[in-house]
Amino acid sequence: MTHLWRDYDPGAFYDELMVDQHQPRTFSYRLLDHLQSMRNDAFNQRVAESEIEILERGVTFTVYSDAGNIDRAWPFDIIPRILAKREWDCTEKGLIQRIRALNQFIDDIYNDGHIIQDGIIPEDVVMQSKGYRPQCRNMRPAYGVWAHICGSDLVRDDHGTLYVLEDNLRVPSGVAYMLENRKTTKRVLPELFKLLNISPVNDYPSHLAAMLASLRPDLASPNMVLLTPGIYNSAYFEHASLAQQAGLTLLEGADLIVGGDGYVYMKTIHGLEKVDVIYRRIDDDFIDPLAFRDDSTLGIPGIMQAWRDGKVAIANAPGCGVADDKVIYAYVPEMIRYYLNEEPILPNVPTFLCRNPDHLRYVLDNLSELVVKPANESGGYGMLVGPHSSEDKIAEFRNLIINDPNNYIAQPTLKLSVSPTSCGDKIAPRHVDLRPFILSGDSHYVTPGGLTRVALVEGSLIVNSSQGGGSKDTWIVDEALLGGTG
Amino acid sequence: MLSRVAERVYWLARYLERVENTARLINVHTGLLMDLPREAEIDWFTLVSIFDADIFYHASYEQISEQNVMHFLLADTDNPMALIHSLSALRENARTSLDILPEETWEQVNELYLLVKEELSALSNRRRRQNLLLAIMERCQTIWGIFTNHMSRNHAYYFLQSAKHLERADMTSRILEMASLLLKENRSDPVRAFDGLLWTHLLRALSAQQMYTRVNGSNVSAGPVLDYLIRDTAFPRSLFFSLSAIGRYLSPLPKAENLLSVQKQILQKLLQTDHSVIPAEDIHRRMDALQIQLAALDGQISAQWFYPDHSVA
Repeated sequence: MTHLWRDYDPGAFYDELMVDQHQPRTFSYRLLDHLQSMRNDAFNQRVAESEIEILERGVTFTVYSDAGNIDRAWPFDIIPRILAKREWDCTEKGLIQRIRALNQFIDDIYNDGHIIQDGIIPEDVVMQSKGYRPQCRNMRPAYGVWAHICGSDLVRDDHGTLYVLEDNLRVPSGVAYMLENRKTTKRVLPELFKLLNISPVNDYPSHLAAMLASLRPDLASPNMVLLTPGIYNSAYFEHASLAQQAGLTLLEGADLIVGGDGYVYMKTIHGLEKVDVIYRRIDDDFIDPLAFRDDSTLGIPGIMQAWRDGKVAIANAPGCGVADDKVIYAYVPEMIRYYLNEEPILPNVPTFLCRNPDHLRYVLDNLSELVVKPANESGGYGMLVGPHSSEDKIAEFRNLIINDPNNYIAQPTLKLSVSPTSCGDKIAPRHVDLRPFILSGDSHYVTPGGLTRVALVEGSLIVNSSQGGGSKDTWIVDEALLGGTG
Repeated sequence: MLSRVAERVYWLARYLERVENTARLINVHTGLLMDLPREAEIDWFTLVSIFDADIFYHASYEQISEQNVMHFLLADTDNPMALIHSLSALRENARTSLDILPEETWEQVNELYLLVKEELSALSNRRRRQNLLLAIMERCQTIWGIFTNHMSRNHAYYFLQSAKHLERADMTSRILEMASLLLKENRSDPVRAFDGLLWTHLLRALSAQQMYTRVNGSNVSAGPVLDYLIRDTAFPRSLFFSLSAIGRYLSPLPKAENLLSVQKQILQKLLQTDHSVIPAEDIHRRMDALQIQLAALDGQISAQWFYPDHSVA
């Protein structure tokens, strides 16, 4: 049997760990040296251990097409993905800059609307966003922060540039899996932590709790809960695990009630107990049947009014999804210049807005080269990846775009970076992205690294966990501390 | 503590105790049947009767055989008293109480579940089955150990413990009900000849043999065994101990007064009788009555804390 690494070749792609076929990057040298020195059976043994580990810990993720299966094991690749601390420090600044601008934007459009009046963003762009909620007008949440937890997706192209692909502002998931991935690496490859200084990630839950508590500056120790749709939600494992680690009461809509005094209460064995902060993991649409969908059985009637009256804080704030829209995304660099008077540190992926006739013409002429996305979908659904699509599929999207140009954007197909990934009988390059998590309250916190998602199928660009993607532990490594041979 | 979570924790503990008790009972019974002559009245079906599951059994099985009874009690998902059913319920309750239980709980419960699921196909192999039952008991003990050593003495803990002792009292009363079989005047000679052996197994089914021997020496017979399993104040599986523990753990819970007076009544009624001198039919009847009282207590716990009137203030 040939050595697992023998034919490794990233080809024309940027490789996160390798300079080329043979040469590791300065910060990944020790990792690769260690992994490549392992015999095949020793390495495969570690892979098997990681799978058992995840199965026994019950780390699960639901895929909706698997009807009735709520036990799909979390897909994990044991070879970590590394970023140099120097690069990461800069990325972190860029992410904070971006979320500051996004929060000011949301606060602005629900209040004065300066950015519209000043002609930076057309009003109809804001109004077309499915996340826009008229019920949120004239609200001013603490610190002007609406998106308290943001998961931004970063991708790297073949030149090595990191781009922001999208900002997930509604109920971004994945952070508990980031924590689980680190735990698994620690159990399966503990010796690696001796070789390198790896930034720890496990204090995320305490930062989350501190951020949530800061949303009620009027209270010394607010009563905080995590609102989940329940066990059949794809991210239930994450909800339970975060609640446990951050000390939040995990509850469902039926456990909450709005009292005659307008405050929110939970049903306890003592009777009713006041709730001050809600970390909600259900969409706006389902949060309050009085304000939004009246067929929602998940929600709590009257909770929107309680929030508007300042009687309860909700993270993320209702209505913050307005900025989680692929058309509005295109304007984020302008927002940064407008609100912060700064140049964007992290670039957007170049984006063509089909609402713009020039862009539309270009998009329709180059469909087979582009990625086309509807404005309001997440999880990689409803997309066209031109170079990987049949002519029928391209024709279908041509019609969709012509009929509703305002709802579509297009981007060049990035040559996403790759990272060495265990693929059964060999180690092979697979495309990756990265989702760091940014907390905003009275201050900002960015996870060191985040959740690296990997497209396990050769050549595939689809990394979404809901579509069978895998994941990797992500290390931020300080090159300055690498020193000699240790 | 949320009412819904209290309910889940309560049922988690009941199912955890039930899984362990079921495993032990089957394990001991298997050992007993190896020692008994074939014509004794005690057979595999006795186990089904202990769980009051005769109707469910006859609905699915024609013959009474070791294989059928084992499948029914361990693996049959249509039988609400089957071990796999209790274990699935235990796992679902653990999964939905992750935020208040020690973090190792879920991993242990999940591993137990995976272990049993994998081994269920080998039930007809007696040796593997016995090994599995031992492994189940060990895992259950590990989980209780986690609760004992890692949990604050908070409401969740009190619900766990009350539920455990309620479930345990119920199981003990069922096993004593079976004991009344051994006391019947008209029991056959083969059974009579094995009286000592049967009482020993009864003690073992409740993990009581060793502690009993330290108190009563090697005298294993109806009177002292019944007295020990019902009234002993120090043995943690006697009815007296379980019923007292229920009171001890319910008392720190909010507004527990009514429940405590019910618990006291049950305990007093039990102590009024000297079970070692009454006829077999009486034991049977009294244990039945105790199970009904325990079910009523369970209903009151539910009404008091899980489904109270949470109408708006």
